[in-house]
Amino acid sequence: MRNIAEIYKRELKFYFSTPIAYVVMVIFTAIFGFLFFRNLTYYSELSYQLMQNPYYAQRVDLILGVFAPLFNSNSIILLMVIPPISMRLFAEEKKSRTIELLFTYPVKDIQIVMGKWLAAITIIFLMLLLTAPGPFMAFTFAESSEWGPILAGYLGIFLMGVAFLSLGLLISALAENQIVAIIVSYGALLGFWFLGWVVEPDSGKQIGKVLGELSIIGHLTNFVKGVINTTDLMYYLLFIFTSVFLTLRVLESKRWRG
Amino acid sequence: MKFTRFFSRFVSTFFKRELEKVIKIENVTKMYGPTVAVQDISFQVEKGEILGFLGPNGAGKTTTMRIITGYFPPTDGNVYVLGYSILSDPLEVKRRIGYVPENPSMYNDMKVLEYLKFIGAIKDVPKSQLQDSIEKTVALCALKSVTHKRIGELSRGFQQRVALGQALINDPPVLVLDEPTSGLDPKQIHEIRMLIKSMAGERTIILSTHILPEVSMTCSKVVIINEGQITAAGSTEEIGRNLERSHQIEIMAEGPAEKIIDHIRRVKGVDNVINQGINYIVDVDKDSDVRAEIAKSIVTGDFDLLELHTRSLSLEDVFLRLVTEEEGGEAR
Repeated sequence: MRNIAEIYKRELKFYFSTPIAYVVMVIFTAIFGFLFFRNLTYYSELSYQLMQNPYYAQRVDLILGVFAPLFNSNSIILLMVIPPISMRLFAEEKKSRTIELLFTYPVKDIQIVMGKWLAAITIIFLMLLLTAPGPFMAFTFAESSEWGPILAGYLGIFLMGVAFLSLGLLISALAENQIVAIIVSYGALLGFWFLGWVVEPDSGKQIGKVLGELSIIGHLTNFVKGVINTTDLMYYLLFIFTSVFLTLRVLESKRWRG
Repeated sequence: MKFTRFFSRFVSTFFKRELEKVIKIENVTKMYGPTVAVQDISFQVEKGEILGFLGPNGAGKTTTMRIITGYFPPTDGNVYVLGYSILSDPLEVKRRIGYVPENPSMYNDMKVLEYLKFIGAIKDVPKSQLQDSIEKTVALCALKSVTHKRIGELSRGFQQRVALGQALINDPPVLVLDEPTSGLDPKQIHEIRMLIKSMAGERTIILSTHILPEVSMTCSKVVIINEGQITAAGSTEEIGRNLERSHQIEIMAEGPAEKIIDHIRRVKGVDNVINQGINYIVDVDKDSDVRAEIAKSIVTGDFDLLELHTRSLSLEDVFLRLVTEEEGGEAR
């Protein structure tokens, strides 16, 4: 545990002693803030108009009107900002050869991976935490008390972020070069994203259904609506577990090959 | 698992001689894909020894050291450090080894003190002793003046000392140093060598180098490796003696070169003469002392003898000879 904690502390400190953490957080919160503002103003205009029709007025709601689209569009921003966080995790240590000493210390691979992984997760967590004032204000003024769906949405994008990160971790363990790591991460994440579009999911073909289920973005839709579905939860957890597991295997195999 | 470990410790304590072999390398082979980096090498290091691991670049020194330190496992064979196998007990081995790689890369963004603290914690130095260990290491490696500087900003010499510091932080009984003086200036080289030498006795040290004087200066035992195989092993003197097949005499004389060579050749015991300007290098049998004869022969030929002295083979020549002989042997 101590080893994980030490590596975690070092990694986290590194993110903040270089511009990476700040740049990523500023860009993410700025875009989140802008989208939130735009969605909210659009929603308030819309609800103002719909007030005249009691039938429609019932159907407008803050979650579906503001937060679901907000979280959905933020998934693409996460896709953009997470590879810069994950690309360095192993690629940098390999390039600068600091990994040579690290691998000769009495630490297990899993402790190294966990330390690094948790540090990067912390960045994602902080990034999402910085966006909290938005929803908080909205709810204060909207006098609504439905926090559950929002938290579910946050859980969804957090899990998706960690899934992106874990795949990035794996790619960083494979790559020697950070540029290669980031480009391959983008490629792989977009690939998982587009999987659902390869075959029309509603075309009735079995393959379309399977690919749709594999799509990394498809599993977010329920979360942002405030529904925590076991299938979606399991998808992200499995995705994360598989990526981390493969990272460990990659490190071991690279070691045997020398 | 626990029991076998206990048992092997018991056995090794019982047969004390075995315990004294701090490092045992047994038939280690390492392949990088189809390329053989080290082939079937075995040697042992006893407690308190400084073993010089000598070889040209690309001979397999670093590969061997990386296997000993557990950076990667051997393709075949095994390494034991204080009775622990690198294959079945890698963490126990790693706990007992301090490693300084060649041109060590450390976290350049960290400050020296912070770095030592981090490494100490990673190497399981108990929290209560960590501060003490850091102070000791800083004093031993003379790092006091740079504790608050970033590693990346330090001079090469200080970086090397930090690298030694990270190796020593948990007070390991075994040190593995890969070319510890490469890239340093003469003063720094001297300091590092003295530091290494001062640690002999309490620690067992393996030191790799391609610089020969380093071995004769610091090491008690030498293993010479070339093209992944051990070509010679023994104490520093032994190696020097066994391989010293002939002496060389350097002569400086003025006069027609051909005639001088002719006069030198007349002396019994002379094998070969090489002429470079007014310098002549004469290979002679090591059993006979022919300096007086040669001097006489030159003087009687009425040439001006300016200088004459023996040049006994330094370890460097021995090494070169060994390596080239190997290559020559293979060519034939």
